[in-house]
Amino acid sequence: MRTVSTGRFLLKRAIQGLFVVWGVVTVVFLLRFITPGDPVTFIAPLDASQELRRQIAAELGLDRPIYIQYLDYLAGLVQGDMGYSYISKTEASTRVFARLPATIELALAATIVAVVLSIPLGVISATRRHQPVDYGATLFSLMGISTPNFWLGIMLVLVFAVQFGLFPTSQRGIGSAQIVAELVYVTVQDINLPFVGRPGAGAQLVFEPRMNISAATDAAVTWLAHITLPAITLGTYFTALITRLTRSGMLEELGEAYIRASRAKGLPESLIRYKHALRNTLAPVVTVVGLQLGTLIGGAVITEAVFAWPGLGTELIRAINLRDWPIIQGSLIVIGAGFVIVNTLVDAIQAYLDPRVVAD
Amino acid sequence: MWTPTGKPTDRPSVTPFLCLAVDVEDMSEDNSLDRRTFVKLAGGAAASVTLAGCSGDGSETTAPGDDEDTPTPTESGGMDGGDTPTATEADGDEDTSTPEGTETAEEFPVTITQGQPPSTLDPHDHRETPTDTVVLHAYEGILARTPGGEIFGNLATSFERVDPGVVRFEIREDVQFHNGDDLTPRDVAYSVNRIVDGSVGFESPQSDQLAGVTGASVVDGERAVEVESDGLNPVVFSLFANYCDVMQRSWVRADDTEPATEMNGTGPFQLSSYEEGVQVVFERFDDYWDDPADVTELTFLGAGEASTRVNQLLEGETDIVVNVPPQEISRLSDSDTASVAAEASTRIIYNGMRYDVEPFSDPKFRRAMNYAVDLNSIIENVLQTFGDPTGQPTLEGFVGHNPDVGPYEYDPDQAEQLVSESGYEGAELELHTPNGRYLRDFEIAQAVVSQIDSLSNVSCEVNQRDFGSLAGELTDGDITTSPHFYLIGWGNATFDASQTIIPLLTSDGAVSSYSNEEVDSMMEAAQTEDDREERDATLQELNALLHDQAPWIFLNRQYSVYGSSNRIDWSPRADERIDAYAISPAE
Repeated sequence: MRTVSTGRFLLKRAIQGLFVVWGVVTVVFLLRFITPGDPVTFIAPLDASQELRRQIAAELGLDRPIYIQYLDYLAGLVQGDMGYSYISKTEASTRVFARLPATIELALAATIVAVVLSIPLGVISATRRHQPVDYGATLFSLMGISTPNFWLGIMLVLVFAVQFGLFPTSQRGIGSAQIVAELVYVTVQDINLPFVGRPGAGAQLVFEPRMNISAATDAAVTWLAHITLPAITLGTYFTALITRLTRSGMLEELGEAYIRASRAKGLPESLIRYKHALRNTLAPVVTVVGLQLGTLIGGAVITEAVFAWPGLGTELIRAINLRDWPIIQGSLIVIGAGFVIVNTLVDAIQAYLDPRVVAD
Repeated sequence: MWTPTGKPTDRPSVTPFLCLAVDVEDMSEDNSLDRRTFVKLAGGAAASVTLAGCSGDGSETTAPGDDEDTPTPTESGGMDGGDTPTATEADGDEDTSTPEGTETAEEFPVTITQGQPPSTLDPHDHRETPTDTVVLHAYEGILARTPGGEIFGNLATSFERVDPGVVRFEIREDVQFHNGDDLTPRDVAYSVNRIVDGSVGFESPQSDQLAGVTGASVVDGERAVEVESDGLNPVVFSLFANYCDVMQRSWVRADDTEPATEMNGTGPFQLSSYEEGVQVVFERFDDYWDDPADVTELTFLGAGEASTRVNQLLEGETDIVVNVPPQEISRLSDSDTASVAAEASTRIIYNGMRYDVEPFSDPKFRRAMNYAVDLNSIIENVLQTFGDPTGQPTLEGFVGHNPDVGPYEYDPDQAEQLVSESGYEGAELELHTPNGRYLRDFEIAQAVVSQIDSLSNVSCEVNQRDFGSLAGELTDGDITTSPHFYLIGWGNATFDASQTIIPLLTSDGAVSSYSNEEVDSMMEAAQTEDDREERDATLQELNALLHDQAPWIFLNRQYSVYGSSNRIDWSPRADERIDAYAISPAE
């Protein structure tokens, strides 16, 4: 009975998610018609004749009625075709999905930084309330939430890269996939996924062990060196947020009757704190972490700019500056779809953990 | 404090105009100078200004316009103390790059960080300097320019005008594309047609760059190409010195070729890897028709934030960075590993004033605006001296520049009096300006607005605009949609007055804010004049007229400000391109 309800709940959520994505597609598509700045302005020279401008517009299909362009775009989208970049003339989907791994990698790294730092900090802060460590953690949270990303990023670079030379100043170096590639060689043949690659008969993955440990270690060091400062920059706000959430959750749990009962039974304090109080505190924290991951993917724009990180944010800024609408639309749709997917997954987890959510 | 030296004004002009054939190859050999040495020497003479390291004090002996005489290496100029780059230096340069020498065997990787990565690798399908800078390392033009602007034959060994509307290029032999195929005249003709003829391949956004050119064809039985224009085209060699990179016809037309992401040119570097929107890596092309480059591996990166680029340079992660803002100068000049290099560019910054609306319809009011602006103060305080004052649309060193016309003097009293005489006392103005498009554009606009607003009988405020929407209003072919008063910049890499005045200041100009029958007729006379000296004189007279009519507030000539690593020997160019072929290890 519960399984059927949960299934319906998730199906409903998925259908709602599809409508949200469609809404995002529509709004983003219409945005270009109310945003000042004709894409042809950025393609043609300033002194181009009106005839040349008309020819370029016709070549890009911009001279067609809006509804035709919209239907054409929707029809392409359901087939995985996001159109072609106005500027580079390459497939928009290829450009967008080529950037996505760098952004997801950075968002995940920032999440790891946040979780690893914030949960212990929140617990310590709650269990040592009104002690110096609590004040320190609270101050850190306040500063972390108040500090603008771009300022923090620049400061970290000036101190740890320029002054002490501990990290590279910018760029991605290599992707994490390179580390894996040194350990196992993976060949993907005839993969047939929406938006990526060309249609084929199916996916066939061929794994060929390489186990080049030395090269993998070098690659890991390079990767880590490049991602550390951007991850800290992006993760600081998140760290502060989770620290506060963990602290308040822990304080609430530690005041509950079952904690008093546990203490009365003579259970060790560490068991009470970490097995009972923390466990119950983590449920809302996990939800927020999941939801914030989507925010990080969309919100990495400024961090990417400061570190010249070749992710979706950098691509989006470039595209906006050039009114490269197929790239703007593709990026925003992917970010929007990412939010929907993450939200749906969080809903699924919540439904599993707490059946009352389904009932509601 | 650095001192700008070796500006284009050092160049004496002018050489005969309608054309004798020029045998560039012979010139090169006769002077014992190969192309690379020639370019490098001229680069020194182009005289970038530097805060640290070498400084130039050069001059060139030929004007940079449509010069069809043999371009010669500089006779004066050079490094500190005014030393002349001598034949000895040139020989030494050659010695270090001989194939047998150890130099070519050594690795000399160079990285260049621009504000953005190239948008495409197709040399005919873009209109951006950053993309141009990248693709020109793999592709080459029929003609080219030295860093100071002089024209020389590149893939053409000679060029001549055979008819008012027809020019002829003799095509160099023994040139290979990176795929090993030989360059043919057919490839050259195809490249011209690919740009100007939409039916050949696509609508190239560069078709207007070869203004007037209608097509090209191979001369039967000869290694030559003839290019036709719709009548006399006085600037045709100037255009080909800047535009029209040569591609291989069969390669472009092959089904499995993607010119936007692959490259096959004749240039000194061949594509090694391309990560779209991230980086481009070249390796030296050892079968290059001229001496191979010193640089063995060339990487282009993009970083939109100026501070990020400067940090990269200071940490040795890159060797050249572009667009160093004035506030970052001290970080570089205080560094032991990098220095600042600046060069007057071919871009003029100005405030356009629409002639068809009050109060700008009155020349007195327009002149008043020029007198109201303290240009020297703006250059000193806003641009930290990275700019030259202007007083006419044509920059120093360009064909048609009038050396007798200077900038307007700062005279607020005169400005107030002229405003009063014009009858527009109490006028309220709004200056539209982009922010971040040009070097300190918004800050310049703020200063201009403040100075105009300080007049007792005019008020002025600034309106910060998105560049795209501002440019859209200026280029839609309808002057009535343009702002009445705006700041914009105009780059003209042809070094010829016509390519500024025609689009910006004639009645039919694509981005014009001005209309004056006398200006139109003088411009038309210049464009149909086949005697170079007569044409130059007409253009100079026209520039004097435009100074008096004051269709703009003439602001500054923009500087290109770079940071460069001290491990390389490199000088910036006036045309904003970065030529890695001219880079060598610092001594």
